[in-house]
Amino acid sequence: MGLDIRIPLGLIFLVIGGIMTIFGFITRHSAIYSRSLDVNLNLGWGLIMFFFGLAMYLVGRRQRWQDDPVNPRPWER
Amino acid sequence: MTLSIIDWLIMLVYFIFVLGIGFALKRYMRTSNDFFLAGRSIPAWVCGLAFISANLGAQEVIGMGASGAKYGINTSHFYWIGAIPAMVFVGIFMMPFYYGSKARSVPEYLRLRFDEKTRAVNAFSFAIMTVLSSGISMYAMALLIQTLGLFRGIIPDQYIFHVSVFLSAIIVLIYIFLGGLTSAIYNEVLQFFLIVAGFAPLVWIGLRNVGGWQGIRHTLPAAMTHSWRGMAHANTNTLGVEWIGLSMGLGFVLSFGYWCTDFLVIQRAMAADSEVSARRVPLIAAIPKMFFPFLVILPGLIAVSVTSKVVTPEQKNISVTQQAATAATGPGTTTAPLEDAHPHGIVPEKVNPLNGQPVLDSNGQPVYNYDLAIPVLLLHYFPTGILGLGLTALLASFMSGMAGNVTAFNTVWTYDIYQAYINKKASDSHYLWMGRMATIGGILLSIAAAYAATNFNNIMDALQLVFSFVNAPLFATFLLGMFWKRTTGHAAFAGLLAGTAAALVHHGLTIPADTASGIHGGWITIVHHYPSDMAQNFWTAIFAFSVNMIVTIGVSLVTRPREDHELVGLVYSLTPKPVESHLEWYQKPSTLAYGVLAMLVILNLVFA
Repeated sequence: MGLDIRIPLGLIFLVIGGIMTIFGFITRHSAIYSRSLDVNLNLGWGLIMFFFGLAMYLVGRRQRWQDDPVNPRPWER
Repeated sequence: MTLSIIDWLIMLVYFIFVLGIGFALKRYMRTSNDFFLAGRSIPAWVCGLAFISANLGAQEVIGMGASGAKYGINTSHFYWIGAIPAMVFVGIFMMPFYYGSKARSVPEYLRLRFDEKTRAVNAFSFAIMTVLSSGISMYAMALLIQTLGLFRGIIPDQYIFHVSVFLSAIIVLIYIFLGGLTSAIYNEVLQFFLIVAGFAPLVWIGLRNVGGWQGIRHTLPAAMTHSWRGMAHANTNTLGVEWIGLSMGLGFVLSFGYWCTDFLVIQRAMAADSEVSARRVPLIAAIPKMFFPFLVILPGLIAVSVTSKVVTPEQKNISVTQQAATAATGPGTTTAPLEDAHPHGIVPEKVNPLNGQPVLDSNGQPVYNYDLAIPVLLLHYFPTGILGLGLTALLASFMSGMAGNVTAFNTVWTYDIYQAYINKKASDSHYLWMGRMATIGGILLSIAAAYAATNFNNIMDALQLVFSFVNAPLFATFLLGMFWKRTTGHAAFAGLLAGTAAALVHHGLTIPADTASGIHGGWITIVHHYPSDMAQNFWTAIFAFSVNMIVTIGVSLVTRPREDHELVGLVYSLTPKPVESHLEWYQKPSTLAYGVLAMLVILNLVFA
């Protein structure tokens, strides 16, 4: 298929990770983190997701997949 | 439960991407092969992740979390015994026949190997099963959304269930309708990573709270933290099944019957770009699969280990002193108070949805709703923001389970029922159109199934029951068909029917302890009591498999086999072995298989 899955995968992690990071940064010392044992999960995990998304997106952009449809297809050879 | 705008935003982003993938792939869907087989152009790792993600539906996340809370770490047998060996077997030995025979589906392989009637039995039973599974997934999701009160304040309470069912149905419908199998596979990969991203921090924070694995071992009875202890006899372990029933019923019959013959998962491997990729798919899938107990079963154990909302350092000290005091009184008494009472942690009591009263068992004790173990844990630990991610992960798991079933259904319907019996000589574009219509039909039937869903406490038990009727006899047919060239079509057909009949009869004659006859069994007459419904399921499968095997061998010996030259590419002894000389040692599927098996042994030893 002409669309590399790593591009949407990278993008969704960039967006969700980004939202969580920003929200986590704004709410740094908020009382909402008492339930997560005073760990700011939004900031920490958001950053991890953001960088995972970035890596996926960059790899997906660099490697081009074969154009579709493949001709002849594997079972037609 | 009140969600903030951030939580909704994260969920919204997910749904936009899910639908976006469908729209982005629409232009690549030119032929029926693109729609049903993803053009056989997907790399192995993508198929591998889709392979486990398609199976990661409701019965996995909710059911495994529930079993973890109910039975303990020995639920991991469903992975380590009940999945990995079968996944290695299908990759190494069976995939060359599925991929190499040019069959487009598992029922079609049966037609090539045996005959039309064997295919028909498999195609029809499989189509019904996929619709049922998809319906149960949908039902479970709607029930969960209703229980958690996700839409409370937005939609009137009495409509929440219906809105959830139709909303999930429409989203799955749109992305499969547009992008077919490719869309389903891509979304499954997305769902896989979201499930990991949503559950990994949950496990991390939960373990931190309960004092790590050691803390869980201190809190819970030993039977719940050892996967093999007490397996010698059914009465000495929490599953209520002995090791023979476990390894033969689950580890061999049910697991091989599912992972090696179920088109839902095989379809993902058949979308791979080459035969060697297709063989790698289940092996690649086995690696994350092996570690999934830590993401889905461990939360169940954490949920029953958590005693208070948040343990402050002072409380921690108190509990440590208490433990030290109990330990000091002698080894015999340490676990005694816990052995008689199963810990419940934060697992809520089951409430009758009609009158809001707590549900009581026959002894007047409250019944606990273990299916809520994971959702309750999410609400317990996650602050707003990451809570949206956790709920997205949960919704993603339901969607992937549904979508997997729907793509398998539309392919089997179009190729094995419609093209085989209704309209044989239509154009390819007609079959593509039919595939899209079958997607709509499959979703409508799933909705019907969701409304007809049963009232089992543990969803997994219900699914295992369906699987044991349909899948258990099936593996004997494939095993003999692929590895014994003498097996005939008449024999396969007779064996399949006899196997399913044996499963039904066995279920009708036996019953798990402490249950009334009816849906749980014993509807003919009761000749045997099993210690648990799980034991009954496993033995139903063993009987179905054995009867199928005996009948198929028997009938094969008295009917005429097909000529050898007709079976090339379909039977092991008549098919040239896959050429691997151009591959480096580390690229060979067998190397990967040995690695997977070695890791499996290590995991079993660590948690024995």
